[in-house]
Amino acid sequence: MPHQCTNCGRTFADGSKEMLSGCPDCGGNKFQFAPTTTAAAESADGAGTDGSEAAETASGSADASSSEPDNVATRAAETVRDWVSADSADDSGPDATEQPPSAGSTAAAESDRSWPASDDADSSDSESPSDGEFEEWPETARRPEDRSGSPAAAAPESTGTESDEQSHSQTPSNRPSNGPTATMADDENSAQADARSEVVPSDDLPAHSERSEKGDAESDADAGSVAGPHSEAKTGAGVESDDADHPPEHGRVVSEPSGQRPSIEDLRAELNEQFESIKIVRPGQYELNLMELYNRDEYIISLQEDGRYVIDVPDSWHDGDEDD
Amino acid sequence: MGLFTELKDSISRATDRLFSEQEPKRIGIYGPPNAGKTTLANRIARDWTGDAVGAESHVPHETRRARRKENVEIERDGKTVTIDIVDTPGVTTKVDYEEFTDEMDEEDAIRRSREATEGVAEAMHWLREDVDGVIYVLDSAEDPITQVNTMLIGIVESRDLPVLIFANKTDLEESSVKRIEDAFPQHKTIPLSAKEGDNMDEVYDNIAEYFG
Repeated sequence: MPHQCTNCGRTFADGSKEMLSGCPDCGGNKFQFAPTTTAAAESADGAGTDGSEAAETASGSADASSSEPDNVATRAAETVRDWVSADSADDSGPDATEQPPSAGSTAAAESDRSWPASDDADSSDSESPSDGEFEEWPETARRPEDRSGSPAAAAPESTGTESDEQSHSQTPSNRPSNGPTATMADDENSAQADARSEVVPSDDLPAHSERSEKGDAESDADAGSVAGPHSEAKTGAGVESDDADHPPEHGRVVSEPSGQRPSIEDLRAELNEQFESIKIVRPGQYELNLMELYNRDEYIISLQEDGRYVIDVPDSWHDGDEDD
Repeated sequence: MGLFTELKDSISRATDRLFSEQEPKRIGIYGPPNAGKTTLANRIARDWTGDAVGAESHVPHETRRARRKENVEIERDGKTVTIDIVDTPGVTTKVDYEEFTDEMDEEDAIRRSREATEGVAEAMHWLREDVDGVIYVLDSAEDPITQVNTMLIGIVESRDLPVLIFANKTDLEESSVKRIEDAFPQHKTIPLSAKEGDNMDEVYDNIAEYFG
């Protein structure tokens, strides 16, 4: 239960978006980040538990409880490579002459290049018709371990070929049985499992048209539940990769599975650098990703050093409107 | 929260009437910390309304919440232009409390730092939703080519908002207006010293022309 309403105590899974519109139970908009080992985190360092420490704890617990750190790492790795390759593809050299080595500079530099489409600066990667789904994309802004496997889990599927098979066999069985997240993320996970269980091995599929439909249905279901940025790519790959021996000729190949797997720490660092809008280096020291802050729908109006934060909930504005 | 809700309500009301001609344009004063945004906002507000907008300080991040001054009526050539000015917190990619520890104790410095960070988030949010034009204030004694400046001006351009660049602090010896003009040749740069009140006539001429 990484997120908890400080008002009524309701907890939310990693990657849950429920709280973005206020606590469904009490309407509160103040939450705290509480990794699965809440007690440990709190007792470890009450006042000093800042974001990075919370992240450490979360990742630690994720590693321990998931019992499949490699899968997490792989999926996240592919997501990261995806982003990186998308970045480098259009990287004709950022104009900014100043490249401070701060966190967020990568994303910021990318943002520099993507001004004209600043509202979907992230969509250069997704190229999906359902971009609207990603406008909020807090999923991608999360740390890998926070992502409840959703977009990351979709990533390997987008590679088509063998990783496709791999993830089909792994994900449905691993995800729901994955203790800590299963209880809270039931909705997401069952939806994902549903979506994935509809995918039959490519050999069993009779014709392109039908498979295409299935692919779409799957993609829709997936996008509906988790807004995975790769749903479109996945559909494309599903249609194209008739033969598991050949990689798809066009469409994005996110990555080939490789023996070199970056450590979860590397991934977290990289993702933090790219997606986190406010990084609490330690109390009183912050690094900000301006483009992320600009692009986010919700916005953090209060930071607290104990890992708590208050987000602005759009509904609360409407309440005010009614008083007029 | 209450204050913010109130602010937001008034914004959405104003947005509803965005297309009515009488509604004053909301002009955001943006820029890096310590560029003189609040000094400029106060100068404009005092010149035309008699009131100030907020406290000024040589310590960066004095302004940590956006502040508005509504219905500032600026008279130019017999015509009156009415604008709302929004003085925003300085935008930066790094906030470090150690920057303030010479001026205050550590606890206050940390609080200031946290509030400044929230202020940047607020400024970016306003930029996305709530301003009709931008005055971008730069300290002309500093190098204008920074990631923050390039990015913010790029965002403003991508939104097609009218923007004026103010090369502030021309009273300083190291001031170089040309450096700013060269950095952002696509926009009009107006030299001024908000503190000394230098060149304010040209400032108001351009505000009336661009945002009227």
